[in-house]
Amino acid sequence: MEFLIVAFAATLIYLSAAHRFRVFARFMGVQGVLIFGIAFLELNEMATANLILVVAETLLFKGIIVPFMLFYIIRRTQVFKVHTQAMPSFYILILNAISLIVSVIIAYTLQNPFINMVFMTVALYALLSGLIIIVTHKLIISHLIGFLIIENAVFLFTIALGNEMPALINIAMLLDIFVGVLIMGFFGMRLKPDTGELTQLKD
Amino acid sequence: MELILFFSISLFFAATILIMRNKLFTQGVSLLFAVSLIGLTIHGWMHLDETSIHFFTFTHEGMLLLSALALISLPTFYHGFRYTHDSSVKHYNIYHVSMIALMTFMTGAYLSNSMTMLWVFVEATTLSVAALIYHDRTQHSLEATWKYVFICSVGISIAYVGILLLGFIYGRYDAASLTFDEFSLLVSQANPIYLKVAFVFVLVGFSTKMGLFPMHSVTIDAHSVAPAPVSALISTTLMNVGFLAIFRVFSLFSSTEILPFMQHSLVLTGILSLLIAAGYMLKAYHIKRMFAYSSLEMMGLVAIALGSGKSGYYAAILLVLMHSLVKSSIFFHMGQFKKVNHSYELKQVGNYIKNYSAGGLLLLCCVVFILAIPPSGIFISEILIFKSLIAQQHWITFVVTALLLTAVIYALLTRVLHILFSDPAEPQIEQQDPVRVKAIETVPQFILLIIVAVLCFYQPPFLVDAIDASIAALPN
Repeated sequence: MEFLIVAFAATLIYLSAAHRFRVFARFMGVQGVLIFGIAFLELNEMATANLILVVAETLLFKGIIVPFMLFYIIRRTQVFKVHTQAMPSFYILILNAISLIVSVIIAYTLQNPFINMVFMTVALYALLSGLIIIVTHKLIISHLIGFLIIENAVFLFTIALGNEMPALINIAMLLDIFVGVLIMGFFGMRLKPDTGELTQLKD
Repeated sequence: MELILFFSISLFFAATILIMRNKLFTQGVSLLFAVSLIGLTIHGWMHLDETSIHFFTFTHEGMLLLSALALISLPTFYHGFRYTHDSSVKHYNIYHVSMIALMTFMTGAYLSNSMTMLWVFVEATTLSVAALIYHDRTQHSLEATWKYVFICSVGISIAYVGILLLGFIYGRYDAASLTFDEFSLLVSQANPIYLKVAFVFVLVGFSTKMGLFPMHSVTIDAHSVAPAPVSALISTTLMNVGFLAIFRVFSLFSSTEILPFMQHSLVLTGILSLLIAAGYMLKAYHIKRMFAYSSLEMMGLVAIALGSGKSGYYAAILLVLMHSLVKSSIFFHMGQFKKVNHSYELKQVGNYIKNYSAGGLLLLCCVVFILAIPPSGIFISEILIFKSLIAQQHWITFVVTALLLTAVIYALLTRVLHILFSDPAEPQIEQQDPVRVKAIETVPQFILLIIVAVLCFYQPPFLVDAIDASIAALPN
């Protein structure tokens, strides 16, 4: 179990240093599969109906559909690398390392008997990594990747709640997926991934 | 049971509009929906504090905000019919289905009695608003829609982490589905650090909906391109959804030792919101963006009011209600403004009072009301906020707020008076004849303003009681 969580954290480091969108797409798929493994092992006493939802949310959506749609967008838009004006990877890696340290500090500060510390740390780390990618990158696809990482972070938080995930949380996760599909399926394909088109509305 | 009926009716209406593909039919069904919303509101007032299908309760604060929505629902549909008059049947129907969906989701959010259910409805409003902002299908509307969906989704994800943290606090697996009442019984056992972190996540996350700093930019861009009746909802009842989420968590945690921390956070957020609003209004070039920043200013004042305590709590809720009526009037009018002037650019419009006297008079009244000049009911709210700041000896906040409000008054008045009485600074290159807009189109806005004026001098006992009941859980 801990191996899967550490592997998930490692993908975040790769993602922060990546330049090519194909790498982003592949690693999003890897994250989906890892989250599925984590959920499957962690939620071992789960009811069958919930298990089906979790499988659908992780393996099917995060592990297969998301990377497939990202590859589709890359092919359609013919944009293969991050914007040349994006922050250099070296600095992003430094920010990423700082976010890891911050996550560890926060997780230790919030330590209590009900929480798996490793889960908490990696979930916070994923949340901050997603935000860093959104802030430091310039293209829409990069922003999508950042958002999907945040969604994964939220899912990790949810898993950390334990075996009996209430139906309401599943509904909330499904709605998140719905928004993800909306963003990727509609806007991701209609908007050209050129930041120039996203700067017309300003003061 | 009645809520199941309401949600079913909404779904049925939306489905029939999509199936029938007839504008007249759409108008009739939309009006029927507004009537059913008003009916639900009346039912709610008759069954205060009763819980419906476990997840919803007719609380005082929820009912006050639902009443504001019910009050402006009919004018919203009326102005929507006018705005979409020339749209194709398909786009016309998508607009009105999205409007019905948005009002239904907002109703669900107002009446939700658990944080998770509230979150689900807030998320759902994002989807329906996205369809409405995209109505004109221009490059600008696409950009605004994208930014709105994206930033709201990020913000709401952050808010969800805050909600999950509440689950960590108690180690209860059902924590996320606990009602606010159940939470209030447990909150005293919680570790204050958790409560602080959860509050910060919720404040930042739901500030996307409330339009507060630091996530305010999303609503500003949405305003500048959204259809006028949609802007009216985004700026009022949708912001109220964000306010309610933050207010509920604030009320929940107010009995703990983190109350001063929450108050300081709210005051800081409020001051920063006011600062940004005043700064941008001083260099505004687009009238809808200027009024969008005015909404940021108002929400900043609401945050300061909550943070200042005592009479500030009362003022916050009163301000939210008054602002809903005044700001919706302003944005309803923006549709007529655009028809007459063919532009929202401040430098390109002028002599508005000559070109459209009823509209000019309305715009002048709206600005007087939004600036809290009597007989505006907002005047009462702002007096109460300043009274609270003085009573709590928050001198720095008092001075900074007063200075920033002065800048806002200067910015708004100079620009609007120029629009009303001066020639355009930079006339449009292609001169277009002003479109004749009937004076009767301003009647719904004047009615809303009259309500606000009456509330300046007389607040009916049921309103005072409802606001008092909403803030009863808050400490003095």
